[in-house]
Amino acid sequence: MNAHQIVEAVLFASDAPLTADEIARADELLDEDEVEDALQFLRAEYDDAGRAFQLVEVAEGYQILTRPEFAPYLERFDNVPRPSRLSGPALETLAIIAYRQPIGRVEVEYIRGVGSSGVIRTLQDRRLIDVVGRAEGLGRPLLYGTTNHFLAHFGFKSLEDLPRPDELPIVLRERIPLEADHDTTDDDEAEDDSAPADELPEGWTGEASTEESEQVAQD
Amino acid sequence: MDLTVSERIAAGRDDFLLVEIERFQGPLDLLLHLIRTQDIEIFDIPIAKITDQFLQAIRGLEATDLDGAGEFLEMAATLIHIKSQMLLPRPGQDEDEDPRAELVRRLLEYEQIREISQRLRSAEADRSRRFGKGYVPPRPKKPLEDVPLETTWDEVFEAAMQVEMPIPRDRTHRVTTRKVTMEEKAILILDHLKRSTRVEFNRLLQGFKERSHGVMTFLAGLELTRRRMLFLRQTRPFAELWIYKRDQDTEADEAPPVPRAEPTSSEDDQGVDA
Repeated sequence: MNAHQIVEAVLFASDAPLTADEIARADELLDEDEVEDALQFLRAEYDDAGRAFQLVEVAEGYQILTRPEFAPYLERFDNVPRPSRLSGPALETLAIIAYRQPIGRVEVEYIRGVGSSGVIRTLQDRRLIDVVGRAEGLGRPLLYGTTNHFLAHFGFKSLEDLPRPDELPIVLRERIPLEADHDTTDDDEAEDDSAPADELPEGWTGEASTEESEQVAQD
Repeated sequence: MDLTVSERIAAGRDDFLLVEIERFQGPLDLLLHLIRTQDIEIFDIPIAKITDQFLQAIRGLEATDLDGAGEFLEMAATLIHIKSQMLLPRPGQDEDEDPRAELVRRLLEYEQIREISQRLRSAEADRSRRFGKGYVPPRPKKPLEDVPLETTWDEVFEAAMQVEMPIPRDRTHRVTTRKVTMEEKAILILDHLKRSTRVEFNRLLQGFKERSHGVMTFLAGLELTRRRMLFLRQTRPFAELWIYKRDQDTEADEAPPVPRAEPTSSEDDQGVDA
């Protein structure tokens, strides 16, 4: 038995993505580097041999998944798991949380312009988001972030896989940084993350409250 | 809809404003619809016109859905407020501060989020065309309908006669539980280590529910460590505890490969001589 066979066996038997670190637990002689090598080997082997499945990097891990072109055949079977689709409001809320995490319900509702507690609960029930901390300030509101299951649901490798704001066809990007490292100005406003919606920063500068959020997410 | 929005505008009709509110995710969605379908420059929104259109569009709101209606009404109030500010600039107010600024910022932000959710939707669709392992059992059958009870007194009597009456006991009944012993746990550990050079502590607890099993397994682990038959290793606090086989012949006097200075591996040192 060699390393890539062991790795293959573990991946084959798993119904969820596994990290290299997790795969390495299969055998005391395996370390992460060897697992990574084996994964590369298997990926190339599956592709070269034209298998119906591929080794896919998803949710910070690896999983054996069928190639998309076989979907029509598999969909005919009742007992093949069929992922459920999310509703429009759920996707919208998830998009906000994915880009602004950690973020509280009040901020989500301000961005969407509609109440969102029901959607947030549903997303939480479906393990797509989770509470990641509490904000400072009145009532210490809960802050939400996306989960590994979120990445798995959308087939993302990591949060880096999300479309970057500067790829989007909307002029907004200079004004509303969606990522902390895009932050340009307005450090003076970086105090009141937990401020109620009507006190969010105003004006053309459009400070997105990513920076402040990070400070309060530590606990 | 028989005409597109632009055709209706061209035809001078404004009934495109009779939108189905339910179609929209909220007031921002509706506002964006009004702005984008009329090719309005978002940085210079004709606020009076848009306010009128917005008010007309929400006229059809169902009075029953108070929550949803409230959000649209709140936006209507915001629009009217902005409109009044545009007409009557307050003295001393910053000339550069356009009353529409915050609204525009929100609209653009919302539009971006809407775009991102479209991307998420297509990512979701792509992912759903790939299948991993996993079997979903067939859907359960519907529960049996409530069957009306059909019986006779004879049947009931017969059934009643078959019920054994409890016999009163005068013996003292002693309740004993099967004790979990350290010996059996030690055997369990050694048994696992015959097959592998290491075993996860949690694995040894599989199938046992009571806490006493965990305690005894741990004590057995410590005892065997003391007898230098194995060593315990934990890479950091609260991490998984691993039990390693120790080769008694070769390294009886050697220190375990885990450096003792490592503070996190204190499990195997403390308690050994306790």
